[in-house]
Amino acid sequence: MKRTRGGGDEEAPRQNGSVGRKKGDPQQSEADDGGSTLGPADLQDDDNDPGLRREIRSKYRDLINSVQQNREDMLSPSNNKLTEVLEEANKLFKDVRQAREAALDAQLLVVATDLGKEKASQLFAEGTAFDHIAFAERLLSFMGLNRLEDGEDDQQNRGGIDGYLPKDAWHRVARRAESCFMTAPAFHYMMGSFHAEPPPPKQKIERQRKAPSKEAARIMPTQLKKMEGSHQEATEKEVERILGYLKSYYQDDPTSPISYYEFVIDPNSFSRTVENIFHTSFLIRDGLARMYLDDDKLPCIAPVEEGEVEAGGSWSRKQCIISISPKIWRELIDAFDIRDTLIQPQNTQTE
Amino acid sequence: MTQRKRLSNSHSSSQSKRQSGNLVSQEEDDDSTFTQPSTLQVQRGLEKLTTAQVDQKTAEVVQYFLVKDQKKIPVRRADLVKHVVKDYRNIYPEIIKRAARVFDQVFGLKLVEIDAKNHMYILINKLEKVDGASPIKSPANPKMGLLFVILGVIFMKGGVVRENLIWNTLKKLRVDSGEKHEEFGDVKKVITDEFVRQRYLEYVRIPHTEPIEHEFRWGQRADMEVSKAKILEFMGELHEQDPQSWTQQYKEAHSVPSSTQAGTSSQR
Repeated sequence: MKRTRGGGDEEAPRQNGSVGRKKGDPQQSEADDGGSTLGPADLQDDDNDPGLRREIRSKYRDLINSVQQNREDMLSPSNNKLTEVLEEANKLFKDVRQAREAALDAQLLVVATDLGKEKASQLFAEGTAFDHIAFAERLLSFMGLNRLEDGEDDQQNRGGIDGYLPKDAWHRVARRAESCFMTAPAFHYMMGSFHAEPPPPKQKIERQRKAPSKEAARIMPTQLKKMEGSHQEATEKEVERILGYLKSYYQDDPTSPISYYEFVIDPNSFSRTVENIFHTSFLIRDGLARMYLDDDKLPCIAPVEEGEVEAGGSWSRKQCIISISPKIWRELIDAFDIRDTLIQPQNTQTE
Repeated sequence: MTQRKRLSNSHSSSQSKRQSGNLVSQEEDDDSTFTQPSTLQVQRGLEKLTTAQVDQKTAEVVQYFLVKDQKKIPVRRADLVKHVVKDYRNIYPEIIKRAARVFDQVFGLKLVEIDAKNHMYILINKLEKVDGASPIKSPANPKMGLLFVILGVIFMKGGVVRENLIWNTLKKLRVDSGEKHEEFGDVKKVITDEFVRQRYLEYVRIPHTEPIEHEFRWGQRADMEVSKAKILEFMGELHEQDPQSWTQQYKEAHSVPSSTQAGTSSQR
């Protein structure tokens, strides 16, 4: 042992320079405690044996890991594992020759001393022991934990913990704990600040006003359909009636196209015109009538042949929105010279 | 306001600017270079100003503190000088002195410098809480309860505690740092970020730990604001024990009050 300390014949210590010298001192004390007596030949083999070097390093790493993994357990005052680890390390250190191993030894020492420091700080607890888990349990009772006897609510509570904690549990603790704090009350203006926000509400109102008017025209037909749930039969009857008119006019002269405007417009009443348009749109929707543009690009309407009606409609569906105002209505009457209505109003019907 | 001041004291203020030259020229410099003016400089500075001006500035400082204190985050001297004190920085100590007096006499609050190195201030309550019902029934902040648990455990365990101990205690109380809590939300953030920024707690890395672990200690604000004796009292009630049975903690809670300790129950 002592021979390795000095400049000896071995190459290993010289390679690692000062490290070899530093480790000399602890080694000496180890030797004094009755280290192994090895001949110079043996030492040389051990120093250069890579297998042994690896083994030592591996053992060091195991020791380091064991301290790190079992930290919690080793902290316990009754646990003496740390002493055992240190004794192991001392034994290993006798065989340390290279810097790598010494570095591991140093690392183990660091980890062990940290743990030792913590264990020492635990001594404070002696006689003034405070069990934080017992504290937690007592606090739960203080919070008003309702410990249930039957296991019904076990599903709600997390695994194994019985009891239901009231909603104001933490408020209760806070109220009691407040007296421990000399907190300055937070300063807030009683009535709030002057910078209240009038602008946003105004914008919202404007938007809301615009929206209904835009959507009103579009939505109305669907809404009315829904609203007239009770009047559904009346609408259906009216739609059927109009279909009847359309068919009869078509049958009178299948070759002559029926002008849409002539069909729907009632020159005597604007509102009935609108109703006609409305009811006619159902026929279009249900595929019972079709609209098309004639050679003059004017809209015409014709009933769909029985055979042509297919559920769902294989032909492409097109949508259009028709708008009409009294002015346009009058212009149409003049343009098409509509004298009489093709769709008789219901109350004048004698049928 | 500062413009007006310069005009009314045009001649003398420009002179004072030249005299306390290096201080005022710092207006353009980084505020971290603010150095506390000497008593003589303060005196000279005060001579150039009217009482009304100084009072006005004091009031601004008081207001700044009150608003900043809402979040309980300490006020940095650098911010105070940069945003409020501004050209009155040459009489800064006087302003602070007067502000402290206002807090004391008007609000019953104490202005405390919790960090003499980084120059940070907090406000704490000077008035003792009245035992029993308080006339103002303000709802208790549940975070106070959470803070009490953490500070209480740290104190009872000797002043330093590994974070796992705190997380385990809280888990028992149905507060899981890994989950979102009904009352506190992101518990980990509240404890390791908010409470630390407010200086209620210190969350420090333990060296050489793998994986990284931290330990909790009382923060500078807690040292000032929280009464160890009252915590011990509550502990005694909870455990149905005499607070004196915890000899070590009792000693610490009732030791001679230093400047870094909040009021004990024996102090009135």
